[in-house]
This record gives sequence, C-alpha cells and structure tokens, in this order.
Amino acid sequence: MNLRLSSGPHILTRESTRTLMLDVLIALAPTTAAGVYLFGLHAAWVIAVAVVTAVAAEFIWQTLMKKPVRVGDLSAVVTGLIVGLNMPAAAPLWMPAVGSLVAIVLVKQLFGGIGHNFMNPAMVARAFLLASWPARMTSFIHPVRLLGASEATFGVDAVASPTPLVLLRGGGRGSFAITDFLFGNMPGSIGEVCKVAILIGLLYLLVVRAITWHVPVFFLGTVAGLGWLVGLDPVMALLSGGVLFGAVFMATDYVTNPMQRIGQCIFGFGCGLMVVVIRKYGAYPEGVTYAILLMNCVTPLIDRFTSRRVYGMVKQHG
Amino acid sequence: MKKFSFRGGIHPLQDIKGGKAQTRDKAIRDFVAETVCIPMNMHIGAPSNPIVKKGDHVQVGQMIAEAVGGIGIPVHASLSGEVIEVASKQMLGTKPSMCITIQGNGQDDWVELTPLGDVETVPAEAIVPAIKAAGICGMGGACFPTHAKLTPPKDKPIDIVILNGAECETYLTADHRLMMEEPAHILAGLRAAMRAVGAQRGLVGIEDNKPEAIEAMTEAAKGLTGVEICVLKTKYPQGGEKQLIQALTGREVPARGGLPYDVGVNVLNVGTAYAIADAIIYGKPVVSRITTVTGCVKEPANLRLRIGTSFKDAVEACGGYSEEPGKIFAGGSMTGIAAPNDEVSMTKANNGIVVLNEKDSKAHEETPCIRCARCISACPVGLSPYQLKVNYKLQKIDEMEKQHVNECILCGACSYVCPARQQLTPAFKDVKEILAMRRAAK
Repeated sequence: MNLRLSSGPHILTRESTRTLMLDVLIALAPTTAAGVYLFGLHAAWVIAVAVVTAVAAEFIWQTLMKKPVRVGDLSAVVTGLIVGLNMPAAAPLWMPAVGSLVAIVLVKQLFGGIGHNFMNPAMVARAFLLASWPARMTSFIHPVRLLGASEATFGVDAVASPTPLVLLRGGGRGSFAITDFLFGNMPGSIGEVCKVAILIGLLYLLVVRAITWHVPVFFLGTVAGLGWLVGLDPVMALLSGGVLFGAVFMATDYVTNPMQRIGQCIFGFGCGLMVVVIRKYGAYPEGVTYAILLMNCVTPLIDRFTSRRVYGMVKQHG
Repeated sequence: MKKFSFRGGIHPLQDIKGGKAQTRDKAIRDFVAETVCIPMNMHIGAPSNPIVKKGDHVQVGQMIAEAVGGIGIPVHASLSGEVIEVASKQMLGTKPSMCITIQGNGQDDWVELTPLGDVETVPAEAIVPAIKAAGICGMGGACFPTHAKLTPPKDKPIDIVILNGAECETYLTADHRLMMEEPAHILAGLRAAMRAVGAQRGLVGIEDNKPEAIEAMTEAAKGLTGVEICVLKTKYPQGGEKQLIQALTGREVPARGGLPYDVGVNVLNVGTAYAIADAIIYGKPVVSRITTVTGCVKEPANLRLRIGTSFKDAVEACGGYSEEPGKIFAGGSMTGIAAPNDEVSMTKANNGIVVLNEKDSKAHEETPCIRCARCISACPVGLSPYQLKVNYKLQKIDEMEKQHVNECILCGACSYVCPARQQLTPAFKDVKEILAMRRAAK
C-alpha cells in the first residue's frame, strides 16, 4: 500500500482556471453569434483571426521561452475573442492579428504571463489599434441583417457612418428605435452592439458565479446616474457604445480589478465616472477603453487601501 | 427560526456529494478490536507516562499511564487482556510516540468504577478533577485537555458554555448520530461543564443540515436550566471555535493569542460533553469514541471504536477497502491528517477515518494566481491569502506576520476554492510553525 501524505484540504473544488475561462467563453457566445449574424461572414473571419493569433502567439512564446505551455487554460482564447469582438466588422484581417499579438506578447507575456499583467490585454490592444489606425478602427459599417422588428432608417449601402454616440452627446437618439439599441441594429464594433446578447452573457456569469455583481453594477449604475446628472439620457448612455460590453466582459477581468468587494465597487464607480467625463467633455465620443485602462492602473492602489478587518483585531478585551 | 452564521466561508459539501450521505443514516454500532495500540501523546501537552510493563494483565478502564505536568491527562486500557509491548512507534503526526499495545482476551472485563452521581447534584468542585481522572481531551479534533479548559484564570469568569455540534467538516456524521441517539447524555455533560465553571447559559450550535439532531436535542433540552439549542447555517468552517463563538454570541476572541475565556466563553465538542457525562454519571474514563469510517470502504459506518484501534481493523469492521486506497486521513477532507499507513491507531480526537481512491488522491499542479479573489471571500478570518502566498514564495516571513498570518485558523477554505490550485493553507501552516519556534526560542 502506497499512501500519499499531504496536509489538507484533501479534496478541492472542481472549479479551475480553465473552467472559469470556459464560463467566460460561454457567456461571450451569444454576443459573438449576434455580431456574426448582424455583420456577416467577414466578422466571423475577424474574430477567427484574433483568436487563432492569440493562441498561437501564447503557444510560440511559451515554447521559445521554455516556460510551461498553458494555452490549455483557455485564457488566450478569451483574450483573442475579446480582441476580435472589439473590432469594426469591416476591419482588414491583419488588424485583429496585430491586436492579439500586442495583447498576448506585449501586455500578458512580457509582464510574466497569466495573472501578472496590470492592464487588461484586450483593452490595451484596442487602445493600441485606436491610436495607430484611428480611421480604420472607427469606420463602422451598418449591419447587413437586422434583428427583431426594426424601424431603423439608414441607408443599406452606407459604409462609414457615425455611431449613435455622436448623437448621445446632444442628448438624443437620432432615428434609432429603442429596440434597435437592444438588438444591435446599428453600426458599431462586432461584439458590442447587441445588448440583449451581452445581458444574457452577464446573467450567465452571475448565475454560475464566475463573477460577482459589484463591478458591473457600480460601473453601469454610475454611467446611468452620473450621466443623467450631467444631462445625458441615462438609458441611451447605457445602451450606446461599448459601455455594456466593457462593464460585463472587460472591467470584470479578475487580474486587473481589485481583490476586495469594496475595492471592486470603487473600481466600478471609477470606470463609470471616467466614461461619463470622457463622453461628455472629452475629445473622443467614446471613453470605455481609456476608463477601464486608467482604473486598471489604479487597482494596486485600491488594493493597498482596502482590506477586511481581521477577526479579533477590534478592542483589546478587559 | 433565527439561523446563526459568520462572515466568509465555503460550501464544500455541494462538491463532495458522496460525503456525509454515505453514513448519515447509519446508526452507531460497537466494534471491539482484538488488539489495540494506544499512543501516549493523544492530547496537547506532555505525553503521559506508562505505568504498566510488558506481560501485565489489564482491565478495561484501568489507568495504564499517568498524567505528566499541569495540563497532562492519564490514559486508560481500552481492552482487557495482556500488555504485549511498550515501545516508541510512528503514529499520526510528525514524531514517533510511546505506545502501549494490549492483546485482548475477548472478555471485556472492566475495572470497578466509582460513579459521582447526578450531574445536577454532584458538588461543582468535584467535576473538574473527575474529568481529568477520566482522561478527557477535546474530542472534536483539537485534543486540548478538557480539565484545563474548564479551569480558566480567576479573573476570567465564564458565562457561556457552547457545545459544538456544527460538524461542518465533510464526510463526518459521528457527532450527528451521537446527537440523534444520545441527546440527553450529551446535555448532561453540558450541564456538568456549566456547573463546573459557573456558567448561566449553555448554547448548542447545530448546522441546519442535521434536522434530526436538532429535533432530538431540542426535545432533550426541555426543562434543562439555561440550555438553548441554536440552529446554524450550513457553511464551512462553522465549527471553527472562533467562528462558532462569533455566530452564537457576537463576541470575537481577541487576536494575537486570545482564548475563548477572554470573552467569557468555553467551547466543547458534543463528543467531549458525552465523555464528561460518562465520567460523572458512571465514573467511566475515555476508552472508546464514535468515529465515522467512510470513503472507499465497502460498508461505511459510524463505529464506537476502542481507543488505539488500528485504521486497518476499523476498515475491516466496515467490510474492507472497496478500492485500492491512495490516501487515508483522520478527520474530514478539509483538515484531516493523512496517515502514513493503515497500521496507525485512532486516538481520542479521531472523529473520522476516510479512505480516498488513487484517482482522488492525486496531487494538483500549482498554476499562476489569476487574482480571482475567491480566497478573500472564503477566508473566515479576513486575511488576504493570495498576498500571503506571494510573500511566502519570496520567503518574507516577517511581512507575513505583519499581514496577520498568525490569525489563520488553517481551515483550508482558501486552498479549497482556489481555481489555480495554489497551496495556500500548507504554506501558512509552515510559516505559523516557523513563527512559533521563533517565539519559543526568545
């Protein structure tokens, strides 16, 4: 008889990094499907290139650096998918490839691999592409197909068009019906337009307890509440642009948001605050990317100043 | 009904489905081994000193080793028969221990017992000496001698005695069954403890996954002075002493080495209370206890085992192994102590013997922390396990001390929930031992 000797606990949860990443992928499935449906086959290619590049980059890097190959944890798939979903549907295929390379090599691996990057890799990739090719990153096409009953009145063959964000600043919603916002019948990045699909993803993540409500609720609550205070339509503020996608899938990234619940609330609030400030007063129509990246940088500070009281550390008895 | 609880914690029972279900309906049955090997260091404190030698004839309940030092306790023969060996052996734990081996004669002759009488009428000052003479130590797993626990400093009055019937550990149903089958005897033990320390209230905490035990204990508590049965939410580690005190009284044991009596509380396991009742009412010392033998055994059971029964004999009493064992531990899966082989003996604190198959015994590969914060939500103490682990890898022991690693209760909740399979609890156990040695050296 050969018995293993080790200290407890002897049985561990079945949840692993891989199952958590799988949960995120499942949660991303509805909005991925909606994006491909709305924007057509080319969108599928953009996503595929982003995912394949991310996984290949991670595999090659870890092999070359003689590190344990961890592509099996699926985190590179998640990063690649989010990079792809942040692309405009008409992006040339080299763009998602560049994005995924930046995300995996520059942001994730150079800082020590999974768990060590201080900013969200996909967010940095998006910011990098936005700064390098601003025109291409903001040339949004109209959906080729529509979801749900729609009264959208935009030309079918228009190629580049402003997103409703430009209208939001004026406090209106243009010719878009509320259902168009919900179902994604409007120009925008592949994964961010169909809000219903994103909300299904959020619900899934909360139900399987992959994430907690703190970051998304404080993020979205701040955007709506503060937006209303400065004169933005709160419903439109939530339903336009990448706020919902960012709050559900990017601000909730474990690695780059705070550890304590209270810290996560502060983080969510900070993200919301930055989005409103940039949207209302900034030079860009959209601010989700920079809001989250900025708060990523503040995360170590938040962690430092938030902690739970340790049991028994109150008063000295007697 | 109000349900009591604490902050943090986990729900391992949801993942370990087979666990308690295997034995919760199994009534306690007796098993008498042919030989027993009784260690002298079953309790915390100086090991007991053997007073028998090879060839001596002993009876059940006869003292075979005397107490050493102020908190030491005596050890009693658990079989009648012949002492065949007095020697040092490797048992559970890190160091070998002196052990007395008794070959039973199959007669189960008891020494003459001297009962003290009813727990309500016996003189209060006679209770603690009787508990010491009976060799009682914490039977929930802590093994701290009970007479010492019931002798707080004069300036620390106890107003509440808590009985721990939470049994939050996985697999174990020994306390559950005992509360169902012998509630009145357990509560007699509680009354004796209350009278010994002069406590007005006696609270019994039971998790809400044991409705039969709650019912039986509530019924038995009717008419008893100051005794209340309290329902706890099922959450690990609800049975942790500090968590139980917090849940039931709202009091917190002070950090930096504070003890329950600092907040006027004494906590006893239900098995300990049962042993106290035995000692007072029948004059019986500790020679057996209830142990859940489960996991990969053919007929999982709750057995009343003689102290010193080998794990092998206990498993044989359950029909033998059902699969090739990969790991055997004493206690539940969260804090159980792994056995080096199945020849080791069960002790007074041994509430479970759990056998895992080879597949479930495999070590997990540690992968990088992804900062998911699950360890923080799980910690019942409020520590940051992920941060402590970073410092452990850098061997920053002083930094860990500043981050209150000494307050860690080693419950294993953080290790259990970690999706990256980081070895958190073992690291903190290591550091706590290093820090304790440093304090001792000063």
